Amino acid sequence: MTEPPANPSAARDPLDPPPARPENPIAAHPVTSAAIGVLVLAAILCTLIVPIYARETPKVGDFPFFYFYLLIYMPATALALWIAMLLQRRLKPRNPAETGTADGPVPGGAR
Amino acid sequence: MSNVNAVVFTIVVVLFVIVALIGFAASRWRKADDMMLLSEWGLGGRGFGTFIGWFLLGGDLYTAYTFIAVPALVFASGAIGFYAVSYTIMVFPIAFIFLPRLWSISRVHNYITPADFIRGRYGSRGLGLASAFTGILSLMPYIALQLVGIQAVLTVMGVAANSTNTYVKDTPLFVAFVVLAIYTYVSGLRAPAAISFIKDTLIYVFVLVAVFYIPTRLGGWSHIFGAAQTHMAAINPATKKPNGAFIPTPHALGSTQFDFASLAFGSAVALFLYPHTITGALATKSRNVVKRNMALLPAYSVLLACIALFGYMAIADKTTAAEVKKAGNTQLAVPYLLQHMFPSWFTGIAFAGIIIGALVPAAIMAIAAANLFTRNIFKEFFKPDASPRLETRVSQWASLVVKFGALAFAVWLPHTFAINLQLLGGVWILQIFLMLVFGLYTRWFHRWALMAGWATGMIYGTIAAYNVHSDTSSHWASSSDIVFGHTVYIGFTALILNIVVSVVLTLVFKAARLPAGTDETLPHQYTADPAEAPVAAPAGVGVVSD
Repeated sequence: MTEPPANPSAARDPLDPPPARPENPIAAHPVTSAAIGVLVLAAILCTLIVPIYARETPKVGDFPFFYFYLLIYMPATALALWIAMLLQRRLKPRNPAETGTADGPVPGGAR
Repeated sequence: MSNVNAVVFTIVVVLFVIVALIGFAASRWRKADDMMLLSEWGLGGRGFGTFIGWFLLGGDLYTAYTFIAVPALVFASGAIGFYAVSYTIMVFPIAFIFLPRLWSISRVHNYITPADFIRGRYGSRGLGLASAFTGILSLMPYIALQLVGIQAVLTVMGVAANSTNTYVKDTPLFVAFVVLAIYTYVSGLRAPAAISFIKDTLIYVFVLVAVFYIPTRLGGWSHIFGAAQTHMAAINPATKKPNGAFIPTPHALGSTQFDFASLAFGSAVALFLYPHTITGALATKSRNVVKRNMALLPAYSVLLACIALFGYMAIADKTTAAEVKKAGNTQLAVPYLLQHMFPSWFTGIAFAGIIIGALVPAAIMAIAAANLFTRNIFKEFFKPDASPRLETRVSQWASLVVKFGALAFAVWLPHTFAINLQLLGGVWILQIFLMLVFGLYTRWFHRWALMAGWATGMIYGTIAAYNVHSDTSSHWASSSDIVFGHTVYIGFTALILNIVVSVVLTLVFKAARLPAGTDETLPHQYTADPAEAPVAAPAGVGVVSD
């Protein structure tokens, strides 16, 4: 911790393995990345923009639309985030070994 | 104690004793070699998987505030109370964006608190202190709010309610709190993690039963919504305005829509800045557990929406509405409703669920505040060479102090609108947004500019909240304010001010070439997942090798 790396990209120790992701995963998978972005953003905006659903009609059953929308929105968000998570896995560069070691021992941090 | 229902009382006491025993036994759960490490006491060994993580985070995020204050607000003001539903939906996509990065960097550097990260990122002890101070300050009213929730239940149970002496009246609260304080001291984060299973089971059972059963007693949903709509539109004789809004109104009609959205957005952003939610997230064992839980936790929001609807049920039930009015405390709406609708034994289960639902987050909050004190105040400024063992000791004691501080907060401060207390904490905690969340992506901001922005936001937010008055209270009436003709959540305005100051001063300080401080983090560490690949080791070597 004596000399912090002012420029992390320069002067790497030769023993270091190369950086884990040499190319930018977003640039490598533009469609997947965009899909993730849209899903997450839509999940936020569709409840943030209140005028979309601040109305009484159409009633769904006995529920005014405002209340029905908020109820239905939650499972929808859960689904959107789950899909986003699955898509994010595809962004990872081909590394077939990673799936098998999910429960391996956890190193307790840097020190 | 004359009007205490024996069945309700017995069930609550029995469940409380079970929970206390589990709290103590939890110290042996998932036992580690050295339990006196702060990551063991304060983060449960950082080893919780998706399943336990879901219960822990659910128990952490959805507090007694959820069960008492949200329906109370719905009961009093209508649709605006549903901002809490919108907010707990929005919080997960927002956290999905930045929380995995915070998890990774904290795991690589063994950061225990968010202030640890801020200190390391900006090389600034001052910023670390500022964020730790903000965290502790915001957690105090939040813990107090949990106590207010317990108080509401105890009042309806009739426990010592007819005594006017504060100390006699609050004795059960003191007892509950001392027990909580001791098992948190002993077991650390393992205690709330274990108890959250019971809490969530009780809550799920009672809410699902209530949401299907109560409407059958009240003439169906159409009657409940009808009664609520009529009540909200009625003119309040005291204020000469409608009681509330059944659907958030557009700008032309008083603009509750903007208030609704800014409250929801501000609270959603604030939620995962709170140290206790970060504590819960950092206690999980991998990056994917965090992401998976962001997708799974909205299940709790369904529950919250049902609970918010209890507010309307309380309006539709004439007896409940009359009793709440007589007591003059809207927070009693849900306890009274449950008491009237259910047989004693089920009321006991529901009340126990709410009380335990307050204890879980209160424990996690106290732990989070204690960790902040230990890591970012005690160790940083008083004893830099503190051993891990001493750190844990200090944290244990600090958790006790924090709890009793919150108890004082709850007993002495007025709690007509508990929700506003928490919202004031939300205003404060939002002020660390820039240093924490932007800090996860960029080092562009200058540390001193962030400090100035933080101070501006804190001062503005506190003064603005203090100055809000209503017909019934002279200060602290609400955490919304009118800015440029819109009713806006104060935390939101304060954050915007904070951002403006930080950006402008960063430009100035950079031009003046003031020292930027050292950054101990490396870019690839923000996406590291040490459980999957040993990224941590090369990072450490890279720093030390010079």
